[in-house]
Amino acid sequence: MELAAGDRVVYPNQGVCRVTTIDEKEVAGQKLVFVSMQREEDGARVMVPKQKLESIGVRKISSPEEVQKIFAFLRADTEKADLDWKVRARTNLDRMTGGGLQGLAEVVKGLQVLSELRALPTKERELYDNARHLLVAEISAALDIPECNAEDAIDIALFPPGKERPKRTPQEFARGGAEDEDIDLGDDVLGLEGADLGLPEEAEAPEEEEAGAEAEGEEAAPAKKSTRAVLSDDEETVAAGAPLPEEAAPVKRKRGRAPKPKPAEGAEPAPPKKRGRPPKPKPPVDPNAPPPKKRGRPPKSAAAKAETKSDTKKKKK
Amino acid sequence: MIRVVTLDEFEPRQLENFTKALYQAFGVGSEHTATLPAPAGLNEPYDAVKLIEAMPRVPAYEDDKVLFLTSKKLADRDLPTGKAPTSGFALQGRDKAVVSLFPKKNLEEGFKFAARHALHQVGHLWDLHHCLDPRCAMYPPWTPSFPNGEPIFCAFCREKSEQKIRMTKS
Repeated sequence: MELAAGDRVVYPNQGVCRVTTIDEKEVAGQKLVFVSMQREEDGARVMVPKQKLESIGVRKISSPEEVQKIFAFLRADTEKADLDWKVRARTNLDRMTGGGLQGLAEVVKGLQVLSELRALPTKERELYDNARHLLVAEISAALDIPECNAEDAIDIALFPPGKERPKRTPQEFARGGAEDEDIDLGDDVLGLEGADLGLPEEAEAPEEEEAGAEAEGEEAAPAKKSTRAVLSDDEETVAAGAPLPEEAAPVKRKRGRAPKPKPAEGAEPAPPKKRGRPPKPKPPVDPNAPPPKKRGRPPKSAAAKAETKSDTKKKKK
Repeated sequence: MIRVVTLDEFEPRQLENFTKALYQAFGVGSEHTATLPAPAGLNEPYDAVKLIEAMPRVPAYEDDKVLFLTSKKLADRDLPTGKAPTSGFALQGRDKAVVSLFPKKNLEEGFKFAARHALHQVGHLWDLHHCLDPRCAMYPPWTPSFPNGEPIFCAFCREKSEQKIRMTKS
């Protein structure tokens, strides 16, 4: 790749940079050609040996034709995100480090589609934001338009005006073919058909929650309390397509014990309950049984009493 | 500091509520700085990009954000993927944004509408991108559910804006 001072390039995971100088420097006795770049966003500088540029993935900014292909890709409704979070994380990391415009668009599109099924966990939300930031910066540079317009252009492809985003179902994400995770272990196979598992109602999670559980602990990122007007920490972010709270507020389940049923009219009111522990039932009395033994030391006999008196008198003397 | 500059006359009490909503969302001071006339030569509907460029300089510190508020209509923008309905525009990561109250007539009627759009545009000034949560003010503003929402951010956008503001202050 031939570069000259003033060229604009894309550094993977860093964004659009401008080449400032290309000069030869001696490092550890070796003469190397270094390319100095400055990130346009904040002016951060980086020096890269020229022979390393390709392996790092530094490339020139995409052409407007390539950007048009990206818009067509974003507009298409064919991309399905992988539901296996490990595979998804690895693939997205590869796409980000690869540094290609198509890779960035795939990350954005994939996570956006996934968000239509359920809210993204924090790590993926950050990844989505980073990918979007890099994509916006490159499209803005490629088409020479303000960043805000570049972002709106992306989102008009992703969220066409006048339409709410569709709500996806886990079935749409199911992959075809006989893969291990797709084997249908129905109730009849497991021998559970018709069996009452005795689970309480709350234990039976809906399908969406099961799908969301794969994100493991990542979703449980605690947000610090603040007095600022934001969605409260108890509320989770809403997946796309879900109605706003004002439109359809879910019925809140009342907490605590259920109220007692009211007695029928005309029926006698139940006698008031005595408080405290109920008395023990008395054992049946047997008339032939010996009288109960008295507890404690048996009383002294008269002779023994006299002896003790005489002993005390002697001691006094 | 967020400096609100109006291009039309608004009720002072309504403006106070408007700046209060901005203060609550970002946690930085917000005030109505001035009322300025629209630049000469611009016709309604205003071209948002040209309007921002043509507005006279407002006295402000380097880190301040200036938000222009108008009741006039802003023209839809022609973008590579189609026309973008425009109720506001911001220079991403910089210092100027504009918000239109149109089609609402005044701040009393369109308070939520204006506050949510203002949060969105000022969010862009602090480098926030569009959000996936329909309840967040950074959700794409042309979606049907956007005007009905509250002027609030989701936890992610709130934290990101806090971080950006903290970095700016330091």
